[in-house]
Amino acid sequence: MLDTAAPLVKVKNLKMHFPIYRGILSRRAGEVKAVDGISFEIMQGETLGLVGESGCGKTTVGRALLRLYDITEGTIEVNGHDISTIEGEELRALRPEMQMIFQDPQASLNPRMTVGSIISEPLDEHTKLSKVEKRAKVGELMDAVGLARHFADRYPHEFSGGQRQRIGIARALALNPKFIVCDEPIAALDVSIQAQVVNLLEDLQEQFGLTYLFISHDLSMIRHLATRVAVMYLGKIVEIAPRDALYEAPLHPYTEALLSAVPHPDPSQESTRERIILKGDVPSPSNPPQGCNFCTRCPKVIDICRSVEPELQNYGDGHFAACHLLE
Amino acid sequence: MFHYTIRRLIFTIPTLLFISFVIFFILDTAPNDPTGNLPLTIPPEVRVKIRASLGLDQPMFIRYLLWCQQFFINEPLNMIEQWFDITIGDGTRLRVTSWSTRSPVVDLVVERLPQTLWVVGMSYVVGILIAIPIGVISAYKQYSWFDQLGTFFSMLGFSVPTFFTGLLMIVIFSVHLRWFPSIYDTTHKVTDWSSFVFQVKQMIMPVMVLAFFNAAQLSRFMRASMLDNLQQDYVRTARAKGLKERVVVLTHVLRNSLIPVVTVIALGVPQVFGGAIITEQIFKVNGLGQLLIIGIQGADIPLVQTLTFIFAVLIVLFNLIADIIYGLLDPRIRYD
Amino acid sequence: MKIPNLILAAAGASLLATTAFGAAHEARGRDGNVNIIYWQAASIMNPYLSGGTKDVDASSMVIEPLAHYDENGNMVTTLVDEIPTVANGGVSADLTSITWKLSEGLLWSDGTPVTANDVVFTANYCMDPSGGCQQLAKFSDVTNVEALDDRTVKITFGSAKPFPYGPFVGSTTPVLQAAQFAGCSGAAAPTCTAANFKPIGTGPFVVSEFRANDTITLTANPNYRDATKPAFATLTFKGGGDAASAARAVLETGEFDYAWNLQIAPEILAQMEAKGMGTVLSGFGPLVERLMINLTDPSASLGDTRSTVANPHPFMTDIAVRQALSMAIDRPLLVEVGYGKAGKVTCNVLPSPAIYDSPNNAGCEIQDIAGANAMLDAAGWAMGSDGVRAKDGVRLSILYQTSTNAVRQDFQALIKQWWGEIGIETELKNIDAAVFFGGDQSSPDTFQKIFADLEMYANNFDGTDPEAYMGSWKCSEIPSPENAWLGSNMPRHCNADYDALVAEMAGTADISKRAELAIAMNDILMQNYIIIPLVHRGNVSASANTLAGVKLNAWDSELWNIADWSRK
Repeated sequence: MLDTAAPLVKVKNLKMHFPIYRGILSRRAGEVKAVDGISFEIMQGETLGLVGESGCGKTTVGRALLRLYDITEGTIEVNGHDISTIEGEELRALRPEMQMIFQDPQASLNPRMTVGSIISEPLDEHTKLSKVEKRAKVGELMDAVGLARHFADRYPHEFSGGQRQRIGIARALALNPKFIVCDEPIAALDVSIQAQVVNLLEDLQEQFGLTYLFISHDLSMIRHLATRVAVMYLGKIVEIAPRDALYEAPLHPYTEALLSAVPHPDPSQESTRERIILKGDVPSPSNPPQGCNFCTRCPKVIDICRSVEPELQNYGDGHFAACHLLE
Repeated sequence: MFHYTIRRLIFTIPTLLFISFVIFFILDTAPNDPTGNLPLTIPPEVRVKIRASLGLDQPMFIRYLLWCQQFFINEPLNMIEQWFDITIGDGTRLRVTSWSTRSPVVDLVVERLPQTLWVVGMSYVVGILIAIPIGVISAYKQYSWFDQLGTFFSMLGFSVPTFFTGLLMIVIFSVHLRWFPSIYDTTHKVTDWSSFVFQVKQMIMPVMVLAFFNAAQLSRFMRASMLDNLQQDYVRTARAKGLKERVVVLTHVLRNSLIPVVTVIALGVPQVFGGAIITEQIFKVNGLGQLLIIGIQGADIPLVQTLTFIFAVLIVLFNLIADIIYGLLDPRIRYD
Repeated sequence: MKIPNLILAAAGASLLATTAFGAAHEARGRDGNVNIIYWQAASIMNPYLSGGTKDVDASSMVIEPLAHYDENGNMVTTLVDEIPTVANGGVSADLTSITWKLSEGLLWSDGTPVTANDVVFTANYCMDPSGGCQQLAKFSDVTNVEALDDRTVKITFGSAKPFPYGPFVGSTTPVLQAAQFAGCSGAAAPTCTAANFKPIGTGPFVVSEFRANDTITLTANPNYRDATKPAFATLTFKGGGDAASAARAVLETGEFDYAWNLQIAPEILAQMEAKGMGTVLSGFGPLVERLMINLTDPSASLGDTRSTVANPHPFMTDIAVRQALSMAIDRPLLVEVGYGKAGKVTCNVLPSPAIYDSPNNAGCEIQDIAGANAMLDAAGWAMGSDGVRAKDGVRLSILYQTSTNAVRQDFQALIKQWWGEIGIETELKNIDAAVFFGGDQSSPDTFQKIFADLEMYANNFDGTDPEAYMGSWKCSEIPSPENAWLGSNMPRHCNADYDALVAEMAGTADISKRAELAIAMNDILMQNYIIIPLVHRGNVSASANTLAGVKLNAWDSELWNIADWSRK
């Protein structure tokens, strides 16, 4: 691992609200607060794991971070550039530095383009390489992700899921990015393939000095990969901490509940594992509860939770959590 | 793909034979009389003789076989003779002959094709050219005022019949403004600039009326297909790659969205050949559609049978072509 | 809008013609192009193979008979110098033969001379049993046609023909060129496409391009017998569309010079005419819209004997009922609603030519509901509680059929209402014209079968002689299963006095005596209310105000005098 002193990505108070329109005249009837004021930093060369239930807004965070959305509020800084409000050419010029690997390797590849052209298209757009150079670069990338070079003339549908994800990775790497958002890159893959892809991502991180935001709902995988972990619930980060600290001593009741669902590799501990079952459904992000977002399902809820929203606070060694019980 | 095409072609033969019989059967059972439109001054006994001279005194099955022989054997042989300027056998064989004009139906069709292809075909092309940009912009700016306007006009195009728009245009542009002729001159030949201008003038109204109608349908297809594709992950990938928005929309989204639209367009081509019965009638374009309606009115069974069958052939053929185009455009589809 | 380059071309041509002939007014082709629109397109240029009006009219510009009818129904010579009569010896005293003598020096449009052989050939062409000739009725009773010399042709009939002007008089039986149509007789007739589309004729125009069911382009015949005619060098005969758009093309946009058969709502036509670009013309032939009473029982329960003389009608046999039906009708209103300028009230089924118009039936134009009610009361048809009259359990309930046609459906609705006022219940039915007038034996809806209590349609006769027409209502003309429903006596009227008059007319040559007989027959039908006439219908056409010489002719082709048309 590289020195993790300098933050590559700084996010402050990021909000991503999607408007809801209703009625014949399409009046704005409210908004889905998919991401509602989150702040974090990602250090150069580290992997920040972002976990949470589906619908908690983690994918939105990933996309907003790369400015695939126009964000509602907050600032995003990548490699020293403030990208929160820039648009058009300016933003496009910064694209090579930050890339994304998508969850569904099938849908995220244009079905009518060959693998070669999918990988080389960013090169057409952002570099002035000659045809031969581009071919060579595509070959190198395919080597790097473990794809035979002669696959370059084939179409995505001719590949297996794992191979497609390798194509997606090769494509993301084409412009030598510094920062890659991995949006559940293994969720759609067979378990046997997952490990291969994860190992590939680790190797590439080492090889190219990449910084990852790794979005997943798979806590075991995050534990394996991440240096730090952020836990999201209903558009907010409830806890963020170095990996071991989080897994060993989670502070937030939600994190506890999540971790209690993960089987432990040690059989002796596994036998004593007590599963915390959360009751009820996740509230709608268009109408979040008053106070703490988690108050409707929290097993340890106290009165204040229903009126005052807890702040994310440092509880030592970079271990942050937002919970009234800790205060 | 080649084997697939051959196999499909072979399968169409029994299908088409069956269709031809069904058409013949329906036409024969329909109450109709080729002498029905003659003046009442022609006495009934003469009508009986006229019907006999048209072969109507034969049983239906014999007449069907006779038609099959004329259409499937005599007409192709005749065509080969004309193309290669040779004579096969003694060169005289009975062709499919219209009862009202007493001339070979195929010759009538050939005579009608140019104006139908020009007017109806042009309207199809214009319709496509209008529909695609409208569909693309409507989808890209979904729910914008442009999209709402597009929706309004396509609803109008769908729901207002061409006989109304056609008549409206005639009243405005021919009667009041005197800009365009209300009656199409099929004998007009383009030889110089002024005759070309005249040709454009006389085509503009029927072409626009039909193009409006075609564009209404196609722009909806285009819009739906674009919306479908705009939400696909690969579009996000393309944006993440840092491609220009124009490239994202025109190269990635449009090209994928066109696949189903091109199929719909191919499936609509037989309608071009079928002519636009109502529009041709209103503007007196006298193409294949008008030929068909005259044949139906005059109970000209050989004409109606042959035309309907040719349309059936075109429909079957263009279904196959649409499938093949789909296979060519979408690498995910492979036949064989 | 005119076709600009055609105008230019025409102007150029007329300029050329002016310099060539010196006298602009006399030169053939001096007026350039004329545009005619027939909303029913011509299919063929041979009236022997298609008797449709559009085809007969189109071909009349190219091929001509020996004699024509003018706009007043008088016979005028075309290819002969004199109409043969008994007086001038052209018709034999026993009325069994007629001898025509062609004018001298007549040429076909290809420059070859017209001979008596052409006439003989044409007669044999039509009378060929396997040809399906549509004008065969014109040649009825003809036993022999022979050329006496190059210019003289003699037609012999099997029986006395007091009116021997069937063959070769009027545009339906023109003379064909034997040389062109040799080999086209009998079963081969339909195969001669080139001859049928571009016949060589003696008429003022020659076909230069024929597009079947679409447009015919014609040019002046260089060998036309009058060197100063036609005034137009070219003629475009466009077909297709509908009557309203044809009217618009002449009266509103001025694209066309002449439009045929404009059967559209009278007030719309009047509005168009008010634009001042053209004139609406009407001409009255013998066409009468009428009600045909069924004197036999049409009940479906009778099976094969339905609507045959075996079963008299339960109430239509009562003259009081028939007369009441007629009295209840407001004929002037029907004319106004349906035909305007193109219609007149008539109380006769034979209103024209004028000499045959009976003066004995006046008064039908006044509607008399009260009188009709009184008549039915007197005849014992008592008003029932449901507003329908009945006698001995027989209710006056009528099925009234006609062809599908906007005007006819309007008439049906009006008449149904009037009959309701005199206690007669009416059920309306309309049938597609092709079925109603078609001869499909298997269809129950033909006008010959008349499986209804009465039916409405219009009929007329060709030419000016009503003998065959009035013969329609003799006993032997009654359609029945025995004669495959062929016959034109729809009312199933059988009257010995009437049959005697028909026979007498067949042996009478004197025109005034023939008129007396025809009037007597008309009066029998009218005064017995066998046929109830409604409207005397005319032809309506429109002509541009720039066109001179148009004379609407209801007795022959509307384009009968196209050679005399010119530009004002």
